[in-house]
Amino acid sequence: MDSEKVLKTSSTYTPEAIAAIQERAELGRYMIRGYGAFRNVPRFDDLVFLTTSLTRLPLEGYREKCTTKTLIGTRYAQRPMELDIPITIAGMSFGALSYNAKVALGRAATLLGTSTTTGDGGMLPAEREASSKLVYQCLPSRYGFNPTDLKKADAIEIVVGQGAKPGGGGLLLGQKVNKVVAGMRTLPEGVDQRSPCRHPDWIGPDDLRIKIEELREATDWEIPIYVKMGATRVKDDVKLAVKAGADAIVLDGMEGGTAATQSIFQEHAGIPTLPALVQAVEALQEIGVYGEVQLVISGGIRSGPDVAKALALGADAVSLGTATLIAMGCNKPVYVEDYHKLGTEPYHCHHCHTGMCPVGITTQDAELMQRLPIEEATTYVANYLQSLVMEVQSLARACGKSDVHNLEREDLVALTLEASAMAKLPLAGTDFIMGQS
Amino acid sequence: MQTIPQQIVIDCTNLTTREINQKLKALAASESIPAKLLNPAGRHNLAVGITQIAIAIDGPVGYYCGGLSDNVNIEVFGDCGWSVGENLMSGNITIHGNASANTAASAHGGKICILGNAGPRAGISLKGATLIVSGNVGYGSAFMMQQGCMIVCGDAGANLADSIYEGAIFVGGEINSLGADAKLEPMNDTDWQLLEQELSALNISARDYNFKKVICAKQLYHFKAKDWGNY
Repeated sequence: MDSEKVLKTSSTYTPEAIAAIQERAELGRYMIRGYGAFRNVPRFDDLVFLTTSLTRLPLEGYREKCTTKTLIGTRYAQRPMELDIPITIAGMSFGALSYNAKVALGRAATLLGTSTTTGDGGMLPAEREASSKLVYQCLPSRYGFNPTDLKKADAIEIVVGQGAKPGGGGLLLGQKVNKVVAGMRTLPEGVDQRSPCRHPDWIGPDDLRIKIEELREATDWEIPIYVKMGATRVKDDVKLAVKAGADAIVLDGMEGGTAATQSIFQEHAGIPTLPALVQAVEALQEIGVYGEVQLVISGGIRSGPDVAKALALGADAVSLGTATLIAMGCNKPVYVEDYHKLGTEPYHCHHCHTGMCPVGITTQDAELMQRLPIEEATTYVANYLQSLVMEVQSLARACGKSDVHNLEREDLVALTLEASAMAKLPLAGTDFIMGQS
Repeated sequence: MQTIPQQIVIDCTNLTTREINQKLKALAASESIPAKLLNPAGRHNLAVGITQIAIAIDGPVGYYCGGLSDNVNIEVFGDCGWSVGENLMSGNITIHGNASANTAASAHGGKICILGNAGPRAGISLKGATLIVSGNVGYGSAFMMQQGCMIVCGDAGANLADSIYEGAIFVGGEINSLGADAKLEPMNDTDWQLLEQELSALNISARDYNFKKVICAKQLYHFKAKDWGNY
């Protein structure tokens, strides 16, 4: 009798582990890729809302007003960032992203009344023009960082780290460093650009305090100063950033994306966004500045429920990076032959570092970039953001809230023991909080 | 007849940093009158984010003096703290004394002269400015320098020019060690001309020193296998 072969797979030497060993054997170095962590981690999906029934009254889902206005940077700035929605667009550099992608993100953010953010490449003039509210990142590299652009910014974000690579610097491989990108970054064309992992002019929190004062003096104390960190030792880092004078904390969990970094960082460094958020809120509460210093959370946030849960757990806003790229067509099943040339398939592509992005988002190749018409990309991102806002409002109304910022921890329970422990929420249907009860 | 003041004098003693900088910015916006600051007392963030002004500071200053400035002429008669001239775009900053760490960090243009010693990480991430130090510089100087020129008449500490991309560093004294991807290159006539031109303005004779030139070896321009020896 013919029988099908039974193929046994080692749980240690999985096909992925075998491929990784053999790739290292060929290259003699660690692996580099784009995107974010592939591994499964406890996330907002592991929480659910306790919406209303008899104990609380819902709002009419399609009609009653549910406001989304959000203020960031109310601590010291004369002009805090006023956003129409609690969703912002995260810093992604011109260089990592194409010109068209950067402009589309700016225009989409403007349509929704929210902010977009520069990146490790300075302020692209077209991006400034497209974005009604632009956050100017002050990164360790200081590529393209100058006082002229500083004065054009609506907020400054001092980047200490990134969720996809906390403790690691940026990486932009030479194939993406064309003449324009090299010019903006004061680099030789075609050279691998490895951004430093720490700032050139300050080392620790006491220096950061003076650095923040310098930036405030240079901008006449008008605009807010955020401090962005990759999530690791969250409680201590948040407290130190607050002590240093941050107006707002931007915290990026390990599900955050990148254009290129060592895959070991993506998979083995930092903590997930869910517990990072919980610890950051606790840190702010412990030092009595919760509500005074705003918290923006990022890292793998993809849906309205993700946003709503982040707000309920205490974030003032969320920031999206990779998800906005996906909205404009990243990993879309078009130009399939080009995915094959990269040795991948749509929905599996993480080859941002190559500069050969089949859909024109993470490339500096003029021909590939034409595959991303700015107008179409703008519409997609704007539609996506709009849909997220509607989802958040729907959940908020179902919880009886007329303002999305009124969502609260009591509106949530956990579905798994891990999520219960990390979020410090009761396991659904019980009063049990893992690690506390 | 109205008398035109030759110099505006600001006594920092009872002023906040904000008030001092506001006065300086108002001066820069209105007239091109040089300002003199008295009693700075090591205060941080003096004359930051300012454009088109001449300032003399009588005494020591703290961090970031002249940082994020453009088209300025700043002279400090005293020592200075970290990151003097950080991200300077153009103009001149001269320190008649010693400088602490991170002198001229990521400065894009202009010239920063330290007429004394500079601490560690001098010229870090330099992006096109000229940094001249008449004395010594500490460890990690010129780390990740991208463009520009650094002239050190004295000695340089460990790991000089680690991971630089472009630009040149001239050292008149001893170099403790070179950093990753840095190498010595023989001095040529053009180099000596440059040094004589830059240093003669400071009444320093370049030929009194045994200058050595350090540039990027360009071995790490492209990430490749088996280059760990360079790190």
